[in-house]
Amino acid sequence: MPVWHEGTKEWVKDGKLVLLGITQEQHPERCRLFAQWKGIRWPILHDPINIMGSSAVPIFVAIDEHGIVRSIRPRLDRFEADFLNKSFADDTSLHQANQQTPTLPSGHPKSAFDQYQQRAEAEKTSVAWRTLGDVLTLWGGDGQINAALTAYSNAVRLAPNDGPAEFRLGVCYRRRYESSLRQLHDFQAAIDHWGRALEIDPNQYIWRRRIQQYGPRLEKPYSFYDWVEEAEKVIRARGEKPIQLAVRPDGAELAHPLRTFSEKKEASSPDPDGKIHRDDVGIVKAEVTNVPTRVRAGQTARIHITLRLDASKKAHWNNEAELLKIWIDPPACWRVSEQLLTAKPGTKVVSNEIRSLEFEVKVPEQVTGKVQIKAYALYNICDDVGGQCLFRRLDIPVDINIVK
Amino acid sequence: MRQLSVILSIVLLTALSNDGKVNRSEAKVGERHVEFTLADIETGKPVSLSDFRGKKVLLIQFASW
Repeated sequence: MPVWHEGTKEWVKDGKLVLLGITQEQHPERCRLFAQWKGIRWPILHDPINIMGSSAVPIFVAIDEHGIVRSIRPRLDRFEADFLNKSFADDTSLHQANQQTPTLPSGHPKSAFDQYQQRAEAEKTSVAWRTLGDVLTLWGGDGQINAALTAYSNAVRLAPNDGPAEFRLGVCYRRRYESSLRQLHDFQAAIDHWGRALEIDPNQYIWRRRIQQYGPRLEKPYSFYDWVEEAEKVIRARGEKPIQLAVRPDGAELAHPLRTFSEKKEASSPDPDGKIHRDDVGIVKAEVTNVPTRVRAGQTARIHITLRLDASKKAHWNNEAELLKIWIDPPACWRVSEQLLTAKPGTKVVSNEIRSLEFEVKVPEQVTGKVQIKAYALYNICDDVGGQCLFRRLDIPVDINIVK
Repeated sequence: MRQLSVILSIVLLTALSNDGKVNRSEAKVGERHVEFTLADIETGKPVSLSDFRGKKVLLIQFASW
């Protein structure tokens, strides 16, 4: 892609060519940062749900002035002679795709949503429900996530092998997980649905990448968002302000630093006798997400543990005290990437952000069924009302589902 | 009209798919490219392929990863 960006600059400047991008990723602002870094000024559109149906990227298609495809994977060295300098005739009248134009809704998006809802309820087909989900996801914003989830769920209920609907369910669950509407287990639901989509079509690389984004690092062929730090540095050096990322890439999304499974015991349990008081009132809630949902014997899973303060308990993290830690105690013969995880320190004296920590676990050969790994978190919290500060432990069982 | 175009484009794309099958709108040389409308990552506004009718376009699908 950078080769085409550089190689077509003059043609774009002279108005001979339009470059039009479509990014196949979950977070549009990450692509905005990429474009800022590379000096890309041409329009880039966001396709988070893979509505284009593309199974891999990059894809290059040369389209003439009539909208007709003239070349797929064109060659840059012959692009001017073979495409740009040629005049094409509108010769597709006999080869139009057999597409039905539906009766169009009109007016405000809300009325369009309503019309698609009515159509889905009347037709009772997977396609009609999926289409409603698409409209709501692409144009409804966070306020329509729940309605989109319902629509896609209805599509899957009617057609259990509807891979696109399964993939899009995953997109919506992950989006809700990152929003203020998040519900417990949204992240795991995203992974489950992406996994199901991939079972239906294992050749869909775009879908596979969405799971890999959060999965074991060692199974990735190359990094995902390691470029972000370098891009921000370069942009700042130019005197510009980098595009702010709503969700910063972290953990599994970064390939470096590489960690392998250590044979050595690197740390010791911070509460070996279990004497630290438990968080019995549930000031902090833990959520465990396994990527992938089910793992094979001998393979690796990445475990995400998310800790958040229960808003009803009115407490905050005490950042002046010891950092939040998670201790992992795997069964004999099991290996984990790290046994002791430590959260990043908060930037203020007190805070109430969601904290996420990740580790990888390698399942021994010859193991099947469900195995539970013991883990616990230790943290300092302060009560907003009485001002009392506490050091508490929360036991977090991690269930690993192993398939043959 | 823009809203109509947006909705139409989604339907045209989704209409290509059948229950239980992966929908693909793969380009074929000599055929009109399927119409689509998606949000611009900078402005959030809908942009359609047909907005560029009369111009030569190089469509690039990619990801920053």
